[in-house]
Amino acid sequence: MLPLAEIQLLLRHAVVTGDAAGIAPLLTGGLHAEKRLAIHQRHYETSLVNALLEKFPATAWLVGTTFMIGAARRFVREYPPKVPCIAEYGVGFPEFLAQSPANVPLPYLGGFAELEWHVGSVAIAVDQPAVALQEFYSVVPADLPNITLRLQGGVRYFQASWPVDELMKLYLTDTAPGRFQFEPADVWIEVRGARGEFRINRLDAAEYTFRKTVLEGRPIGDAAERAMDANAAFDPGHALTELIAGGLVTALSRRAQGEEP
Amino acid sequence: MTSGIGLRLPHIAEMVATLPPAGWLEVHPENFLANPHATELLTELSLHYRTSVHTVGVSIGSVTGIDRTHLKRLRILIDRINPILVSGHLAWSTHNGEYLNDLLPLPYDEEALRLIEGHIHEVQDCLGRPYLIENPSSYVGFRTSGMSEVEFLCELVRRTGCRLLCDVSNIYLSAHNMGYDAHTYIDGLPAHAISELHLGGYTPEEDAAKPGAELLIDTHAVPIAEPAWDLYAYALRRFGPKPVLIEWDNDLPPLARLLGEAVRAHQIAAGIIVAEARCAASR
Repeated sequence: MLPLAEIQLLLRHAVVTGDAAGIAPLLTGGLHAEKRLAIHQRHYETSLVNALLEKFPATAWLVGTTFMIGAARRFVREYPPKVPCIAEYGVGFPEFLAQSPANVPLPYLGGFAELEWHVGSVAIAVDQPAVALQEFYSVVPADLPNITLRLQGGVRYFQASWPVDELMKLYLTDTAPGRFQFEPADVWIEVRGARGEFRINRLDAAEYTFRKTVLEGRPIGDAAERAMDANAAFDPGHALTELIAGGLVTALSRRAQGEEP
Repeated sequence: MTSGIGLRLPHIAEMVATLPPAGWLEVHPENFLANPHATELLTELSLHYRTSVHTVGVSIGSVTGIDRTHLKRLRILIDRINPILVSGHLAWSTHNGEYLNDLLPLPYDEEALRLIEGHIHEVQDCLGRPYLIENPSSYVGFRTSGMSEVEFLCELVRRTGCRLLCDVSNIYLSAHNMGYDAHTYIDGLPAHAISELHLGGYTPEEDAAKPGAELLIDTHAVPIAEPAWDLYAYALRRFGPKPVLIEWDNDLPPLARLLGEAVRAHQIAAGIIVAEARCAASR
């Protein structure tokens, strides 16, 4: 009698790959029980493919449903979910699309899908009460570079080598221009949202660097230095004020000497 | 009203906006753990309705163990909405860090019993609450099974003291698919351990394993079929009044239609109570 571990290994293989030869002799149910495993195989593949289609409707609009379903099926076979929350499944799908050999004619596909992933992520976030500018008045100016900030849960920073946000606007506004000039260009994007709403903001490289560094938990001083590397004329004071005025900051804390974020 | 509905994300905004009459609401927590906005709405609903939590990702039968991180996330949600019941399935769905997004069958033998016995204690300890086990919908069995599903469930109850969620539709379709008698199955369950009933729709399709025959698939995508309603009435007479839940997960109908199914479940239960009271009075 096979141990349970061996049975589950064989069944897992049958469900994910469709190859039921190993488990077939162990099954009962009808004359050819292994054929009934198609119910589990179908549920595994269909439910996950549908989950990806629901998460990436704009990407499906861009490439067509047939291409999308084929890519989703390959992804599902190669990368089963790691956690039981299917809402979290698909974070690797944009990279998978970017690496797909079938994707050569659309070098911006991975970036577009990544933007869509971020849009979906921020739209289900919930805003926390924002810190008011007055709370910074109590910070001694010399301490400011060591302050770290916590930003709203519904904010993402994302860099692409194609202006994929312009494509996304076409999708969101349901417009189909007769001719659309699309050329490679570095873009720095902030995706911000909560409770079913979102917006996509284009930033300059320095502003993007500052905000992304802050989001990563680095102190304001580090963020300012990195931003000035991108643009020597960057104004950290103005950038900080904009961040706070935009309601993006939910908490501030002072980093202790020598403490890593 | 003791009949509730499975609350799915497409209905949640309407529920919050209209607060329609419903006995209680059951959620799949895995739909909420990574969705702060939906969790916020669910928390609001939990102030107006009793809730229950029906897990689909705990994988109590997995040889590679229970995902402790998942249990901790579940505990946070459970503490937040304080459900009246927490349940899961007699099945497995995780394997070596992969989640297979289905409820996969188990052989019914001593090894599986020992494994699940330990996992039930682990889950209950971690969640701080009793964990009800639901009978599965079955399409295949295992030659290595040394006992029937009912015997397995009875032994699980005896060893762990766990309670059962009796899915009446699962019994009907599994009995059809696997060739046993649904009424005998219900007769064999320990009535004292039944804490909740489920009813859901199933879809017939041709049985690839038995040409010309029909297989019933647990789709939760259609109304509850008449034979399942009849079996529900039989289960109520056997177990007495229990909280019953209408499950509808795919091809969702309008909320009003779903609530209508819950009203029917309630009316059947009320009718049986009245009939049995009259019967007792006439004795």
